[in-house]
Amino acid sequence: MTPAGLGARRDELAAVLDTLIPAADGFPESGGLALDHVLAIASASNQIGALLARALDAIDEATRAGGTRGFAERSAAEREELLRRLERSHPEAFEALVRHTYDGFYSHPATIARLGLEPGPVQPRGHRIEPAPAPDVARVAARGPIYRRA
Amino acid sequence: MATDERSDVLVIGAGASGAAVAWRLATAGIGVVCLEQGDWVDARAYPHWQADWELHRHTDWSAEPNVRRLPQDYPVNEQASAISPLMYNAVGGSTIHWSAHFPRFRPSDFRVKSLDGVADDWPIDYATLEPYFDLNDRMMGIAGIVGDPAYPPKSPRQTPPIPLDTLGRTIVGGFEQLGWHWWPSDSAILTRDYDGRRACVNCGPCDLGCPIGAKASTDITYWPKALAAGARLVTRARVREITLGPDGLADGAVYYDRDGRERAQKARAVVLAANGIGTPRLLLNSRSPRFPDGLANRSGLVGRNLMFHPYAMARGLFERPLGGHRGPIGCSIISQEFYETDLARGFVRGYSFQVARGLSPIASANGGSVGDRVPWGRAHRRAYDERFDRTITVAVIGEDLPELHNRVELDPSLTDGNGIPVPRVSYRLSENSRRMLDHGIARAGEALRAAGAREVASNPLLRAGGWHLMGTARMGRDPATSVVDADGRCHDVPNLYIVDGSVMVTCAGVNPTSTIQAVALHVADGMIRRRA
Repeated sequence: MTPAGLGARRDELAAVLDTLIPAADGFPESGGLALDHVLAIASASNQIGALLARALDAIDEATRAGGTRGFAERSAAEREELLRRLERSHPEAFEALVRHTYDGFYSHPATIARLGLEPGPVQPRGHRIEPAPAPDVARVAARGPIYRRA
Repeated sequence: MATDERSDVLVIGAGASGAAVAWRLATAGIGVVCLEQGDWVDARAYPHWQADWELHRHTDWSAEPNVRRLPQDYPVNEQASAISPLMYNAVGGSTIHWSAHFPRFRPSDFRVKSLDGVADDWPIDYATLEPYFDLNDRMMGIAGIVGDPAYPPKSPRQTPPIPLDTLGRTIVGGFEQLGWHWWPSDSAILTRDYDGRRACVNCGPCDLGCPIGAKASTDITYWPKALAAGARLVTRARVREITLGPDGLADGAVYYDRDGRERAQKARAVVLAANGIGTPRLLLNSRSPRFPDGLANRSGLVGRNLMFHPYAMARGLFERPLGGHRGPIGCSIISQEFYETDLARGFVRGYSFQVARGLSPIASANGGSVGDRVPWGRAHRRAYDERFDRTITVAVIGEDLPELHNRVELDPSLTDGNGIPVPRVSYRLSENSRRMLDHGIARAGEALRAAGAREVASNPLLRAGGWHLMGTARMGRDPATSVVDADGRCHDVPNLYIVDGSVMVTCAGVNPTSTIQAVALHVADGMIRRRA
């Protein structure tokens, strides 16, 4: 499986991503939000692309060994169990899968908005901090010098 | 080989110290040429202008050259190091990436041997550097508040301190409850417009640079003034070696220009400002019959005594949102409650606490500096939501002591894009530092719990924490036990100066840039006096 072929396995990859971050509490599953990022990373880096392809191959193999139903057709508990096996058997590939899924999901504007932040660039808008009185350092200052004279 | 016009002084490196020394010399009428292997950073190129800004932290804007791998970077073999060295190659150097936390060394930091019987005393002291601390503060623009009992009195800060906001007030509550020292951090980040620069808008990720110039990086502080005073700055100029004249004095450097052509820059004096790894690398690459073990290395100490500040991290989890995405990522408060030696603690010397802001969305998922990734699967949502915007991270910055086996050498086979051997770094954490960090983690946990944290997680040693590169060409009076003298002059080559973190005899328990720059200004004034 070459990295270039990963795009042909979009549905399979999306199902894996959905298992890593399932929909909950108003957040969508990660397949819809992180898939394009993961594919872009795989396309930009042969190394990462190969790792992710290896992960999908291993999932595919484990799924077939466990019956006729495909990965996406399994229950959430079954899919998680398959991925836990992958985590143990292919730690490097799994690490790449999780990291880039998290990266893609938590950089997506829909996720940022759902977290209560304003999506988009942090400049030029910045963030407003409510004005507050100067910090009260009286107790600390009253201790007097705590440095050694030298 | 093309040879450029001879200059009075050649400065190698345009970062924190190189910029300071170039400015000081140029304003005294001395001709300065600076060779910098990086480029100017275009303010429009910072990731803050893009929606996916956070993704860049671990790719093209990583602080790790081995991750970033830009053409102007050189690889560092760090396989034998417990800490990864961080640096940035550009006009401004690592001040492009730093968090701008700006404490100074304290008086006792220059008298470690006399006071505590370890390491060595510096040949200069706090009083010598004090006017340069103040001058440098004015050049960089410091937000803060005077009166900190952890220091001798300081001159007024240029702007009020960075706001504490909810997160800062929360952790202050813990320190207050324990009766411990804390103080709003001196930060090289403006909270009001100053010296033609804009105030911070609290966007957050200062570690990716500051696109509006509120954070002091020397490309926007020292360099415009140095260039106005006549200094010349050549970018994408990677120095291969420092050259010697027949009199044994430094007479310039050979470098590769941006097109890869070999050139020579001649000068009457040379100043090295290439950081605590780049400087020994360059000296070791400058071998000659007169200096077969590397230039200015008759002591054998070039590259030895490498000090990082080992960092341990403690992170508290709180019940309520803390607004941690607002404000400069690395600047809130500092505590020096455990800074001076108390042998009852089980170690010599001490550490600071640096309280950072909260974790951004991706960092929250991946565990930030603690590295405990939020679990995947059906447990993910709840675990993430319990963490996001509900954490405070306390960094324990320990004073590393110089040890000969911690060192920078040349890698026997690995080279950079110009075929120049790259550094190989060996570093292991000492027992003293380990005990110090363990003490710090425990005390940080106390402070976090006193502030209301319901859980505390920790990282005993931050691997990607080698921000501070020090000690590899140490300062001293004895040529047998040091590389440069109290004026930054190499004992072996008196017109060759070093002004970066390499010269630090000890590293204190605070971020070093303020002190590095003060030393650079002190060295520059010595050069000016001798020229007069």
